[in-house]
Amino acid sequence: MAMTPLPERSNAELARLLARVALQDRSAFEQVYRLTSGHLLGLAYGILNRRDRAEDVLQEAFMNVWYGAAGFNPAIATPMTWLINIVRNKSIDKLRSGKAERAATVELDDDAMELPDEGNTQPQQLLEESLLRAHIDSCMAGLAAVQRQAIALAYYRGMVHTEIAEVLGAPLGTVKAWVRRGVDKLKGCLETAGVEAA
Amino acid sequence: MNLLRPELLEALARDYALGTMSGGARRRFERLLREHFAAQQAVAAWSGRLAHLAKPVPPLAPRPEVWQGLQQRLFLPARSAPAQNSAAPATASAPQHKPRAWWQAIFGGGQVWAGALAGALLCVVVLRQQPDWVGLEPHADALPASYVGLLLDSGGKPAVLASSRRHGRQITVKLLQPLVVPAGQVAQLWGLPKDGGAPFPLGTVPPSDRPGISITLPLADSAEKLFFGTTRLAVSLEAAPARPGDKPSGAFTLSGHCVKLW
Repeated sequence: MAMTPLPERSNAELARLLARVALQDRSAFEQVYRLTSGHLLGLAYGILNRRDRAEDVLQEAFMNVWYGAAGFNPAIATPMTWLINIVRNKSIDKLRSGKAERAATVELDDDAMELPDEGNTQPQQLLEESLLRAHIDSCMAGLAAVQRQAIALAYYRGMVHTEIAEVLGAPLGTVKAWVRRGVDKLKGCLETAGVEAA
Repeated sequence: MNLLRPELLEALARDYALGTMSGGARRRFERLLREHFAAQQAVAAWSGRLAHLAKPVPPLAPRPEVWQGLQQRLFLPARSAPAQNSAAPATASAPQHKPRAWWQAIFGGGQVWAGALAGALLCVVVLRQQPDWVGLEPHADALPASYVGLLLDSGGKPAVLASSRRHGRQITVKLLQPLVVPAGQVAQLWGLPKDGGAPFPLGTVPPSDRPGISITLPLADSAEKLFFGTTRLAVSLEAAPARPGDKPSGAFTLSGHCVKLW
C-alpha cells in the first residue's frame, strides 16, 4: 500500500471538531472518524496484525472519543497525539491480553498458528521514513541499524524489551540500553530541529 | 521510591509512551497517571514526540461495519438497529464483520422510565478519579473511592454506580442494569446540592442493552469541589445534553444519595 502521510494541517480542524463532539455533535464525530480512522486503524493493525482485532480496537477507541471528547485538553496534547494514544494503548492492552490468554492454553487456535502478515510494512522502513519527514534523519544517523530496529519494533509492533531481545538475538540489558538511548536521542534531535509534538 | 522525581518520571513516561513498560509496572504507572498531573504532562510530552513516528504508517480503511457498529453502539435505540441507517463514512470493501451491539438500549423497560424519582430510596454513588486525558488510562478498578454510592431505579433496584477520586476531574459511571434511552433523548446525570440549590449537569449516561458497562465522563471541576456540597445524584431524560445553568426538564428516573467515604 502506498504510504500516505497523516494530514499535516488537520490538528486545528480536529481540535475544533472534538470541541463539538464534546457537545455530542454527531456530525462532528463522523468527521473526526472520516479524517482519522484510516491512520488509526493502520497503527492498530501494525501492532495487532489482524484486521478484526484492529477494527475492534478502533471501535472501542471511538467510543472513548465520543464519551471522552470533553476530557481532551489541547494545552496538553494535539488531537492526533491524543487519538493515537487511545488507539496505541488499547492495541497494546489487547495484544498483551491475547498473548496471556494464549500462554494459558495448550490448544493451538488461529492466533497461535498465525503467520506474520507480509502486507504489514516493515517497522524499520517506517522509522526511517518518519525521521526523514521530521528532518532529523541526519541527526539520528549516529544510531546503529540494530538500535533503530529495536525502537521500531517497540513503537510499531508494541513489543516489550524481552520480545525485542528475542527477535534481535541480543542480551536484554543491551536492548534496554539501545531503546532508551535511541529514544532519548530522538527527543534531542526533535528539540534541536525545533520540531514540535505531532 | 518517589516516582515523581523529575528524572525518574521522565524515564517512566518515556517507557510508558513507547509501550515497552509491561505487566504490573504498566498498571502501577497508570495508577500514578490517574493521580498526578505532572505524570500526565510527562507522558503527553513523550507521546507528542513519538507521534512523529506514526506519520508514515500506511492508512487502512476500516470496513463499513465498523462505523455501522459504532452507530449502533452509540446512538440507536434498543432493538431497532438495522445496519442500513447510515452509509459508512470511510471507504472500504467488506466481508462480514458482525458488529457487537451493547450500546443499544434503555434502562430496564418503559415502566422504569415512566416512573418518577424513586423518592427517598437509598442511593450510593462511588466517585472515583480519572485523569483528564482519557486515552491514557484504561483501567481504574483497583482504586479506592472517595465518594461511594448507588443510584436506584423506581423499583428500588441498583441501576448506576459512579466513581471519582477526591481530586479527580472525571467520573466513572458503571451501569448495573441495562439502560434504555428513547430515540432523540439522552440520560442526563445531575448533582443535587444539599442546600436545596439547583441541580447541576454532570454528563450523559450512555445507553446499553447489557449491564457492566463503564464509561468515563469529564467533570467541570474537581470531584471534591463538585460533590462536597452534593448529597444526591439523579438522572433525567433530556432532549439534548444539559449545559451549565440548565435545569432538568422533567422528573428524575434514577436517583440516590452521594456519600463521601474519606
